[in-house]
Amino acid sequence: MRPNGRPDEAGGAAGTGAARRAVFTPVDTRARVDTVVRRIGDAIELGLLADGEQLPGETELAGQLGVSTVTLREALMALRQQGLVTTRRGRGGGSFVTLPDDPPQERLRARLAGWSTEELRDLGDHWAAVSGAAALLAARRTQPGDLRPLIRTVEELSAAGDPATRSRLYGRFHVELAAAAQSARLTREEIALQTDLGALLCLVLDDPVHLGNVSDRHRAVISAVQDEADERARTLAETCVRESVGRLIALRLGTPGRATEPEEDTHGQEHRARGPHGGRR
Amino acid sequence: MGRSTGLAGPTGAVADTDPVDAVVGRVRDTLEEVFAAVAETGTDTGALLAGATGAGRGPAVADLTALRPGLHARLAAHPLVSGVGFVAAPGLLTDVPGWLEWWQRGPDGAVRPLLLDLDPEHSAYSDYTHWDWYTLPRETGRRAVAGPYVDYLCSDEYGLTLSAPVTLGGRFVGVTAADVYLRHFEAAVLPVLQRLPAPARLVNARGRVAASTDPAHLAGSLTRGPDFAAVLAGPPAEHRTAGLRLLPCGDTPLVLVMADG
Repeated sequence: MRPNGRPDEAGGAAGTGAARRAVFTPVDTRARVDTVVRRIGDAIELGLLADGEQLPGETELAGQLGVSTVTLREALMALRQQGLVTTRRGRGGGSFVTLPDDPPQERLRARLAGWSTEELRDLGDHWAAVSGAAALLAARRTQPGDLRPLIRTVEELSAAGDPATRSRLYGRFHVELAAAAQSARLTREEIALQTDLGALLCLVLDDPVHLGNVSDRHRAVISAVQDEADERARTLAETCVRESVGRLIALRLGTPGRATEPEEDTHGQEHRARGPHGGRR
Repeated sequence: MGRSTGLAGPTGAVADTDPVDAVVGRVRDTLEEVFAAVAETGTDTGALLAGATGAGRGPAVADLTALRPGLHARLAAHPLVSGVGFVAAPGLLTDVPGWLEWWQRGPDGAVRPLLLDLDPEHSAYSDYTHWDWYTLPRETGRRAVAGPYVDYLCSDEYGLTLSAPVTLGGRFVGVTAADVYLRHFEAAVLPVLQRLPAPARLVNARGRVAASTDPAHLAGSLTRGPDFAAVLAGPPAEHRTAGLRLLPCGDTPLVLVMADG
């Protein structure tokens, strides 16, 4: 049990996998609010929306996102509670992007609290299936020239100084892996997965030890692909993905990390202490 | 998907020709049509850049809008071409670090500009100078065929990109290029490949299959073993190796591979 857990939180946000089933059920306003909060919050964390930038007016923004103004107002309220949006009234008023003074990692943890462990597990399963298949096919279809982008990305990843850059490079590696598999569909799938993963991966890549492990594992994937060892490449790529998502789930639960990387422990304690406003609502 | 390229070709026209010659001819004609679009874009770009350069002045992004009518006309005139444009070398334009004046036809047939986030602070894909379609013309000074490859920068499609260097006063300033999706290339060459007496495939310099009538060696797979680059570098004669007949397709960078015997 999480100290700040509320019973409705775990099932609150419908994952995209549920989208089709959800078409013919009563509209879940809560899920729409969560989706809007996650989308705008991720964009702010990733720097796509800049500090101080004014968001479009409520009616316009609701229209662009395809939600009602009521849903949008609820989402903006949640974003205000997270300190990511400030609303000023009167002339020159509106909603503005604000980056709170909290360290970015704290804010990212608040975003992580918006995911249930089941959603994270399912996201990891999806990602592992795509990257595993991509690695297997890349090993069968790769000639040396195809590996250059992957090698470059791992070197840039291991040298990158901040978590946001590392997250982008981590994502790029998997897109390049799918491209090396010669599959446009797997590549598009990886690109779509990064929309959800981008902000979350910043959390686990903050830790230099895990970053080192990620870089080493990605180098091992490249070696297996180079050796045309298709099954080994698949297993390594899956392990890589599962390790990172496993750490996210451990962080989400506020439990100590894996025994191999014990320094995760203290982060978990901090997360526990964030209180009820740590979540996205 | 499934949009006709209009290039399946007149079925009767090649019936009397030798089937191998027909393949070589069709591959050459198909790629030359795309290279024509690349060359026209290059001519426009060269003239535009020359006019926008000089006396302490350099070209800016806004100058490139003059290319648009030509790019639209090329997309309209060549159903085989799904994307076309000019990719500036970093540092060429005075107001931005890099730029792709790139237009492509979407799945709905509408022509749209490619809008890329080229800010390295936001995007992991801001450096476009590592792609084969950029490096090959820059390093060789000649036109090139890149792929087949998954293009996750512009179209998210599997295809070929044909490109040529653009120079200004002898200095490399970027490339003009055109995209051909592999399904459209296949539609153009498959009818002549199917007329060969045995399963065959077209393979690039690195052994990557670009089109095939051999279910065991489909597009995207690798044909390992033969040195296709050496075959392409040599005279346009047939090679026999490891139970395969290899024939360069004219001066294109593709090799026709057939089972020997």
